[in-house]
Amino acid sequence: MHQENESNQERELRNMDKDTIILGVIGADCHSVGNKILELFFTAEGFKVVNLGVMVSQQEFINAAIETNARAILVSSLYGHGEIDCQGFRDLCLEKGLDRILLYVGGNLVVGKTPFEIVEEKFKKMGFDRVFPPDVDLKQVAELLKQDIKERFGADSQGPRDKGSAGEPTKPEQDARPEDRRKQSSSGG
Amino acid sequence: MKKIISLDIGSTWTKGGLFSLDTLGLKLEKRIAVPTTQANLVQGFSQALAGLLQKDKDTPLKELTGPAEIYFSSSAKGGLRIAAIGLVPDLTLQLARLAAMSAGGKVIASYSFTLTRSDIDHLEKLQPDILLFCGGTDGGNSHYVLENARKLAASSLSCPVIYAGNRAAAEEVVDLMKAKEVIVTENLMPEVGQVNLEPAREKIRDIFLKRIVSGRGLSEIVELFGTLPRPTPLAVFELISAIPQYQTDWSDLAAIDIGGATTDFYSNTESYLETDTVVLKGIREPKVKRTVEGDLGMRVSARSLADSGWPYLEERLSELRLEATRLRTYLDKIARNLDYLPQSEEETGFDRLLAETCVYYAALRHIGGWKETYTPQGRVYVQTGKDLRRVKAIIGSGGFLSATHSADVMRRPLQKLRTYGQERKLLPEKPLFYADRQYLFSLLGNLVGKYPAEATALAVASLENLNDED
Repeated sequence: MHQENESNQERELRNMDKDTIILGVIGADCHSVGNKILELFFTAEGFKVVNLGVMVSQQEFINAAIETNARAILVSSLYGHGEIDCQGFRDLCLEKGLDRILLYVGGNLVVGKTPFEIVEEKFKKMGFDRVFPPDVDLKQVAELLKQDIKERFGADSQGPRDKGSAGEPTKPEQDARPEDRRKQSSSGG
Repeated sequence: MKKIISLDIGSTWTKGGLFSLDTLGLKLEKRIAVPTTQANLVQGFSQALAGLLQKDKDTPLKELTGPAEIYFSSSAKGGLRIAAIGLVPDLTLQLARLAAMSAGGKVIASYSFTLTRSDIDHLEKLQPDILLFCGGTDGGNSHYVLENARKLAASSLSCPVIYAGNRAAAEEVVDLMKAKEVIVTENLMPEVGQVNLEPAREKIRDIFLKRIVSGRGLSEIVELFGTLPRPTPLAVFELISAIPQYQTDWSDLAAIDIGGATTDFYSNTESYLETDTVVLKGIREPKVKRTVEGDLGMRVSARSLADSGWPYLEERLSELRLEATRLRTYLDKIARNLDYLPQSEEETGFDRLLAETCVYYAALRHIGGWKETYTPQGRVYVQTGKDLRRVKAIIGSGGFLSATHSADVMRRPLQKLRTYGQERKLLPEKPLFYADRQYLFSLLGNLVGKYPAEATALAVASLENLNDED
């Protein structure tokens, strides 16, 4: 059960100054090779990568982002159903209090030969900050990501205040647990 | 030859066993059970001990030291009542629940995200023995634990708090909760998906010792015999953990312990086998796992069992062409008299149905499942929870299952569970069934720390094979 030889302190020191990003392939998509490459690449670029692997749901991305206080979620989709899978992602993030998180998406996002500009517009409308075609230069993505994190979170070493409403006093009459809110939001879209 | 005595102080009975140990191993010489003396646990303990040593039952405890090594456990009125606070329900909260149960506690409430005012009210009313408080990976989210720490600090709760959340927030949590007893330990989930239950389990055990030893007057025993009690379910947990290590034929096993108030389910098997067609969702559960169900039991919890378990009971009643009203009458009868033993064939049958129902729902909650999904790459199974398909042996324990002569009371409900809704449950594929006929598991669990090879050998040798009879 207890596999780490590295002490907590050492691990913390190693990871403290790194930005956490969440990685995964969304929906019923099992393409795992590219996912592994992305993990290696972004780790080498100095990020703390939490890789959720294949067939990841919106809720799982968001759960991991909440627990780790992540800066960005990088969504991959290779099988053409990305548009359906990603619908409502930003809304769900907002519902769960992730109001500053960066959302990136990339891959073969739609079926057929839709021009990339149209695809990009579609996903940006859905609330994704950056949209990438399958042949993008990863180096470029990493640079953009560093830049975007800097812009959005600045020198805030404590990490983002990841829940907008949490700073406000709780309204007891509402008594809405986040789980309840999730139900409402997922039925709503 | 060495004499070893193991005692278990239960809520109604204090049970004991005298064992001899020589080069051939451990042997049971004598068993005893005396009523537990709730007012003073030491009295029942010393009576049981005197009985095992063939001394007069009023012999002072002091005069019973010497002839044998003593080990003991205590159920502490059904185990420590633990409230669990996590962040995301499927991640840290689920781990908090697992840690509490595998330390021998009962989860009486669990909360995710931000505690509301009514959550705090509820907690204050419940008065848990321990608050297990976690959330966030190390260096991850600290917002929620700090928010909740502030609210807990302002509450009237007086129990010890174990903090096993984001390490980066630990100091601030302690500062915020200055007026409370806060024990900081390693994070239950230092990274997403990484499971680290042991440190929190250890702290729960420490608190159990403090509470039970000083709180229930056991310090006299501890001083005289130089041995610390352990929670009864933890003793069984440790035995289940050790069996495959020392008895290599018993590599994958499970145990079901049905009592009057609760049903415990233990398993020791790898929780997930990675393949191309099976994808695990949520946390990877530990190899040794205990779950305890406070609403499933044969007497104290018979009513809640009938509520939670009605769909299964109803199906079985119609299969057996039995009247539901007769069962209701029986439930009323045992609710009035918790020591009631069946007096007719019909009543024995009803007890068997109740036991089946405990097995069904305890297994449903303990065991994971697969959902079939079609993807462009073909058919894939999405697994949640623990895979018990490789479990080869299932051991029944507790009043009813220890006494049963038929594997059916366990086999039938498990067969009915194969598919549940959309899910294929990952049940043991071809299990053999056994009964802990002499009710030795908790007693041997006390010995497993010191004599692992001998205690596990006697544990498996004492089991009765139920498989030839059906």
